[in-house]
Amino acid sequence: MIWQLDLIILTLIILCAFATISVQDLLSAAIIFGAYSFLMCLLWTEMGSVDVGFTEAAVGAGVGTVFCIAAVFQTTRKVKVDHQMNPSKFIGLLAASFIGIVLLIAQGDFPAWADPDSPASRYLSPHFITNTIAETSVPNIVTSVLADYRGFDTMFETAVIFAAGVAVFAILRRGRGKEENDQAVAAGTEDVNQDLIIQWICRQLVPFMQLFALYVVAHGHHSPGGGFQGGVILGASFILLQLTYDLKTVLQRMSERWNVLLGNLGVFIYAGIGLLCLVLGANFLDYSVLSKILPATSPIMARSHGMLGIEIGVAIAVMAIMIGIYTNLSSHGDHEQGL
Amino acid sequence: METIITDYNYWIYILLMMIGLYAMLSQNNLVKKIIGMSIFQTAIIVFYVSIGAKKDATIPIIEHGHGHGAASQAISALQYVNPLPHVLMLTAIVVAVSTLGVALAIILGIHRQYGTLEEDEILEQI
Repeated sequence: MIWQLDLIILTLIILCAFATISVQDLLSAAIIFGAYSFLMCLLWTEMGSVDVGFTEAAVGAGVGTVFCIAAVFQTTRKVKVDHQMNPSKFIGLLAASFIGIVLLIAQGDFPAWADPDSPASRYLSPHFITNTIAETSVPNIVTSVLADYRGFDTMFETAVIFAAGVAVFAILRRGRGKEENDQAVAAGTEDVNQDLIIQWICRQLVPFMQLFALYVVAHGHHSPGGGFQGGVILGASFILLQLTYDLKTVLQRMSERWNVLLGNLGVFIYAGIGLLCLVLGANFLDYSVLSKILPATSPIMARSHGMLGIEIGVAIAVMAIMIGIYTNLSSHGDHEQGL
Repeated sequence: METIITDYNYWIYILLMMIGLYAMLSQNNLVKKIIGMSIFQTAIIVFYVSIGAKKDATIPIIEHGHGHGAASQAISALQYVNPLPHVLMLTAIVVAVSTLGVALAIILGIHRQYGTLEEDEILEQI
């Protein structure tokens, strides 16, 4: 930890937060918010939290910004300018300053920052740090806690992401009638925003992105990364194709039916591995029992392999849901034309 | 000077929380409200990750953790930052982007119905 760097990044974060709230154009607000997320990613990496930084770089600065831009593009980028002091602004200011003062008073009771003896670091986490190699043979403690010690939590987080994808589908998706659809096909959809250079570069980029995403999933045990980050990068490669080509090109490669199926399959792999452990006579998500069916595996290595299995499930589910949310947002739910 | 170094992270998370809350309550535009909500979420994540930080500790990946003789080395909990807040926040970020997607989908639906994103104009039409 370098505290000078910490101070600079935190000050820039505050500036970005003020700018994104006060700027009078929604597209600018979305872009500044992307910069804010990127600074957050730097801050977390600097505080030693590499996995969170990686996730923020892929999710917040990447996909989240694209979602915002897609929504602004489909609605309007204008903000009504209103400099008057109306009651809601006053109440907002009052509530925010009240919360701020209460938290500042409470802050006196916090342990000093980066104190190794703070209550949060004293009881549970030393067990995870000292025993992760002996119990799971996974050096990346974040992965072993995420996928094994707190496997239930992660399973339901995956279910929440799946539910969010279903909710977006239910809110936005509207099909076209048969005749309308035929008319649209007959009219032909010629593309106006085709740029040869951008398309060529992105076409070269996509396979490497997908290879990198698979590496992140497979190597999550030994380095920062894992199912969530790899899944988001896989989804981002398809979103990049949609941005540079058009929606139809991507739907030919990854149709809606396949996308929904993959989203289901990801959650099913996670819960299925848990159920398999149950069938083999252990607790739900207790991977050590998988050594009975995996050849030449000790119970400890079986826990490592079980974690890899559920990371793959998480990656598939997250990829499908990210593509689904973006497709519905960018085409306003009719899957006719994207950005 | 010592106070600034030790408390600056906490001050910043309080300030970010105030900015997010103010934007959620007072901004008239719905997209601005959503961005305020995201700022509020990141403020909480800053708080959690600050709790997990430790002086003179490295990232939570065990050194030389694979290969021969991995288990023979003694591992001290003071060497590595606290991984538990990282796990909680990692999943929170991915869930946050999914809820952002749902919120933006609702905004698209509102715009389809009312043709505006300003809160007072929507209230007039209702």
